[in-house]
Amino acid sequence: MLRVSSDERSAWLFVLPFTISMTLFFVYAIIRTAYYSFTEYDLFKAPSFVGLSNYIALVSDELFLIALRNTIGFSLIVTTVQTVLALALAVLVNHAVRARGLIRTVFYLPSIMSSAAMTLIFLWLFQRDGFMTAIVGTVLAYRRHVLLFFIGFAALQGALVLNARRSYEGVSIFDPFFLLAAAVGALALVVACAFSGLLPVFDNDLLISWLNTQRHFLFMPVTLWSVALMNVFTTVPTLMLLFLAGLQSIPSALYDAAEIDGANAFQRFRHITVPALRPVTFAVVTMGVIGTLQMFDQVAILGDAAPLASRVTLAYYVYENAFPAGASSRIGMASAAALVLGILTIAVVYVQKSVGVKERAE
Amino acid sequence: MLFRPAKALAAATMLLGLPALADETVRISGWGGSEVAIVNGLLTNVLAEKLAKEGITVKYEPVDGDFSQFIINGLSAGTAPDLFYVDVFWARSIFSAGQAAPVTQDVSGFAANLLEAFTYDGKLYAIPKDFNALAVHFNKDIFDDAEVAYPSDDDTWTTLQEKLLAVHKALPEVDGLCIVPEYARFGAFALSTGWSPFDRQGKTVLDERFRRAFDFYTGLVKSGAAVMAADAGQSWTGGCLASERAAIAIEGAWIISALRDSAPNMNLGTVRMPKDPESGKRGNILFTVGWAVNAASKVSKAAAKVATLLTTEEAQQWVFEQGLALPSRTGLADNPWLRGGRPEQMTSRVILEGLSDDHVTPYFFGDVGGSWMQPINAALNSVILGEADADTALASAQSALDRMFAK
Repeated sequence: MLRVSSDERSAWLFVLPFTISMTLFFVYAIIRTAYYSFTEYDLFKAPSFVGLSNYIALVSDELFLIALRNTIGFSLIVTTVQTVLALALAVLVNHAVRARGLIRTVFYLPSIMSSAAMTLIFLWLFQRDGFMTAIVGTVLAYRRHVLLFFIGFAALQGALVLNARRSYEGVSIFDPFFLLAAAVGALALVVACAFSGLLPVFDNDLLISWLNTQRHFLFMPVTLWSVALMNVFTTVPTLMLLFLAGLQSIPSALYDAAEIDGANAFQRFRHITVPALRPVTFAVVTMGVIGTLQMFDQVAILGDAAPLASRVTLAYYVYENAFPAGASSRIGMASAAALVLGILTIAVVYVQKSVGVKERAE
Repeated sequence: MLFRPAKALAAATMLLGLPALADETVRISGWGGSEVAIVNGLLTNVLAEKLAKEGITVKYEPVDGDFSQFIINGLSAGTAPDLFYVDVFWARSIFSAGQAAPVTQDVSGFAANLLEAFTYDGKLYAIPKDFNALAVHFNKDIFDDAEVAYPSDDDTWTTLQEKLLAVHKALPEVDGLCIVPEYARFGAFALSTGWSPFDRQGKTVLDERFRRAFDFYTGLVKSGAAVMAADAGQSWTGGCLASERAAIAIEGAWIISALRDSAPNMNLGTVRMPKDPESGKRGNILFTVGWAVNAASKVSKAAAKVATLLTTEEAQQWVFEQGLALPSRTGLADNPWLRGGRPEQMTSRVILEGLSDDHVTPYFFGDVGGSWMQPINAALNSVILGEADADTALASAQSALDRMFAK
């Protein structure tokens, strides 16, 4: 007779609450959604079976196709950018010798803000004559200054490093002291040229539509690029913490050994940090893909501040059909679109798992 | 056989034709904000005695947030109140689903176009409780400083635009008008040309009349007579008026309560919407809310009685004189309160007149719902921002509308 061990019983007891909630809120819900996707249902009259009509209507609905394209583009951009930035920020924070705790807290602050509050702040920053436009306007007005600064900075840094290498071998091109000196020198050069009237300031009366526009940049509406910036700003800090935890678990002996073998900073990062962080990177990319494919709150809060086609994502398309403004609910269409979104999410996560970042460290 | 005193008493009451002694509780619901003051004021100051006499206890549940979702969820789950607000914008989705009981009492004293707004399939499903329409609100001090004549009831689009340009020329820091690229404001201009949102086949055709209004509205910004509200750091035209960034705002009477908080000392004037210079007619959009009885209510008769009491002439006069909402009963149009000179009295008078403008259309779009406005709003937006010309934008809007109706 098969006897269940006490440990096994305990294990089942521990997972029981989650199993019940999963069954209720996921398995049951997904079965209901699948059923509704083959019906016409307005929440009041009994659902009537319509076969594949909702799916056929979906693929012929221009708004759905726009939502699909927007969602994939948004997911690709945000997942890539937030992963790279979070890793870079984690490396930076990990290297900070002083005030590491303070730096970590400051960088983490955007993540503790509610996305609703953050979106409202960004709505203000993204006004046509708002802060973001002012930054672009200032850069354009002082473009000669900016150009001269970078040219001066590169020239000074190059000169300082070459000069130092005449006396000492192995001076890095990124030597921090020289970087600081070159920056101060370049700044002094720009200030001197500006005061002597050699650098013109260009007039501009810019009004840039960051949100309220139907323009596209590359494969995505400009509005969604702005939302992507907003999203990256709020998600990077959390992902940075995950990378930071991963970085702190890498044995320092590996770096010491590599240094003795003559590996430079980039080689140590490429051959030790990146492979050791694979499990964390896998988690970060997977969470990023899932989160961005289901992007809803920030585009919903935007509301009429941006045209629908410029901000619609698949999750928002589902909501638009479930609760259309001033019209009867289209639960069948909403369910079909929700299933497509679910299947797309599973497929993308599977593809990323198969050909993307591996789950195990080398 | 057991003696049951409650049943015996009820039977005796029915036989004698006496009113029921049992108290019936009616749950009613509307949105929050200033509506809470209106409904509570009505229930305690005006209707308390009458409700007691009818043996009805009213339980009021105001809802902050998205009221339409609250009602749709409540109705589908069987937890909705017995009597609730329906906004004309989404009322049809409730009526077509059979969730409201048809109105059976006499509604002859109500404005005809408000009753029409709540009529579906030939039946009236809600009693209009109040309404709003658009008017031109202006800051008299700005016009005085600019030495430009005030807007008037006789203004056409052209004369109003000339005044706005003159204000901007005299006071460059002030824009004439703040506009939003939305049908909810632009629609009044389109309607004044005689254009109708839906033709006889139930389709939308953006014809020459629409084009004329479209060119005028989008041209306001290009001519310097107006600024986009968003570019003035505001989300609505009333915000521009309150901050004295603009000389006029095209809004409903709701602007009064906003100005009371943000610009209490403004020397405000209100006149009717300008006429189309070609047709000589005015257009307006009707925003209205009614009381609807839940078709599944167990106390539907008592709920209908409460709806009647809440919309009697006495009740509406009380609300009206508090300056809180405009009455849906035509009998109150001659109320002496309207002849007063306070901003709320003047605005109410003008907006009541707007109810009988030449082309007035309720703010709803049939089975299509709010999606109907999206192509028009997108066209307005792209032309005002200079991202597309009118020909391209309107062709794109027409094709989006055609696709919408082809479904």
